[in-house]
Amino acid sequence: MPIIQVQNLTKRYPLANNPAESFCAVQSVAFEIERGEVFGILGPNGAGKTTTLEMLEGLCDIDEGQAFVDEICVNTDPYAVKRIIGVQLQANEYFDQLSLLELLELFAALYGLSADPLALLAKVDLEEKANAKPEALSGGQKQRFSIACALVSEPKVLFLDEPTTGLDPQAKHNLWDLVRELNDGGMTIVLTTHNMEEAELLCQRIAIMDHGEIVAEGSPADLIALHAPEPRHVAQHGNIEDVFLTLTGHGLRD
Amino acid sequence: MRFPLQLTKVFLKTFLRDRQSMFFSLVFPLSLMVVFGFINRGGGDALDLGVVDQAANELSQEFITALVGNPLLEVVLGDEAALRESLIEGQVSAILILPENFEPDPELDGADIRVIVDASQVRQQAIIVSVLQQALLTIEREYRGTQALFKLAVEDVQARVQSYLDFLLPGIIAFTLMQISIAGSGFNIVEYRRKGILKRLFVTPITPAEFITAIVSARLFLCLAQLSVLLAIAILALDVTVVGSLVSLYSVIILGSVLFLCIGFSLGSLAKTQQAVQAIGNIVIFPQMFLSGIFFPIQAMPEFIQPIATLLPLSFVASALREIATNGMALTGILPDLLGIAVWLAIGFVLATRYFVWKEVAG
Repeated sequence: MPIIQVQNLTKRYPLANNPAESFCAVQSVAFEIERGEVFGILGPNGAGKTTTLEMLEGLCDIDEGQAFVDEICVNTDPYAVKRIIGVQLQANEYFDQLSLLELLELFAALYGLSADPLALLAKVDLEEKANAKPEALSGGQKQRFSIACALVSEPKVLFLDEPTTGLDPQAKHNLWDLVRELNDGGMTIVLTTHNMEEAELLCQRIAIMDHGEIVAEGSPADLIALHAPEPRHVAQHGNIEDVFLTLTGHGLRD
Repeated sequence: MRFPLQLTKVFLKTFLRDRQSMFFSLVFPLSLMVVFGFINRGGGDALDLGVVDQAANELSQEFITALVGNPLLEVVLGDEAALRESLIEGQVSAILILPENFEPDPELDGADIRVIVDASQVRQQAIIVSVLQQALLTIEREYRGTQALFKLAVEDVQARVQSYLDFLLPGIIAFTLMQISIAGSGFNIVEYRRKGILKRLFVTPITPAEFITAIVSARLFLCLAQLSVLLAIAILALDVTVVGSLVSLYSVIILGSVLFLCIGFSLGSLAKTQQAVQAIGNIVIFPQMFLSGIFFPIQAMPEFIQPIATLLPLSFVASALREIATNGMALTGILPDLLGIAVWLAIGFVLATRYFVWKEVAG
């Protein structure tokens, strides 16, 4: 039984210049994610990656279709879903006045739990920053702290929205190590990314989205075999970046 | 819904650590009180009266003592030339010249006392002349040994001394609670939304109702604490009198705070940026500051504004607080004000819950 099942997921937004019309941010998206998998959603800006995640997280309403997380229906029981997922959002700002320890205590309390904030900080290698304020953290530290916050409830599924965007190579590799470590512990991880290397290295399976639809899905190796450009007679060639650009084109996105 | 104690504590902690805004939310109303209290000090009412004592005898001394004892007058002694100059410059309102023959001799004709006035100040002239005549009459009776037939005792209708600060304090409390509450809910919400904190909170199992309860409880607690400090300083340091019961006073303060917290939430939903919420906040705050009878009674305003002014939410709160603080009214005695507050509370609550954007919070 897959831990995440998504069927026909659709999200419409009214057009800014004509509220009577709407455009589909996400259109009839369907996929399944197995327990213990690292699943990557790739796509250019505006492809619908974040919207898809937000529908799964219960942050925005599902206009059409259904989503299940661990057999709980997101449409009808979003609060039960929120209890078993951990979320790291693109924006990672917090209450300015609180220290990392206090913030972790807060997040635990929001789940009605009492966590061990120091152990969580140790897990993401931020023990020495326990009494610092979030604004004093570097970009990589902020992302790791976001993940620590997402882990307070020991979630079954961890959602990471562009976790390495804007990080330097060291911080990026450090974060990948953390993701692998969590996954080795059995946690299912769903992440969105622009970074092809990241998708190729971390993800067991990938879905590539464009214009609100999934255009390809499979393991990195399968996708390379299927979609990477010539020469076709060589069994394995190119990389996921080739696949991505072949499928979504070279046009710049906003 | 469980009461979100932990989240309430967190909000309290973050608000309390925002030292700057804590400081200014108290300094502003306090400086207003001090400044306005100073401007309206009772001393402004006394008339300065220059006195030239050419007689310099026992009677003139007694007469001058009687004048000094009169609360309506501030007596300035000096010679005629200097006092004339003061009169022209407006430092004294009139000059009284006691002639050399100012003596208690019933056999002689009464001495002529000259009064030099600035004719442009007619109102003051009338007061001075009547005060002088009263003083002269008293002394004359004493010397002639007659008793006064009538005595005039002037009593204040309020039957107690009320200063301008007593009038001002409830208004300042109302204004301060409005400002703290609107800023505390609306401004915070927009900030949380902009930073993505709202979104982050709502991927945890917390419900919007719990979130609102937490932020309202924290703000309310803080608001009561801040107003208590203001009240204590006003009573202890500025000598302001609160006549009515503190329980009634705090009940109205709580109602008013919740009312403006709701309005703040509505503004926070209406405005998408910090600049916008401040602009809209000022549109709500400043007209009320001047129209709601904070610094002077609504009755003193132009007639056509009065009906609108009395219906403003802050007017109801200020009026209710004032009735309790200065007139000692019980809650049952201010039902119209409470009704007004209730109506605005209902409007605010509907707007806040209806337009507050929970999902798809801009990120």
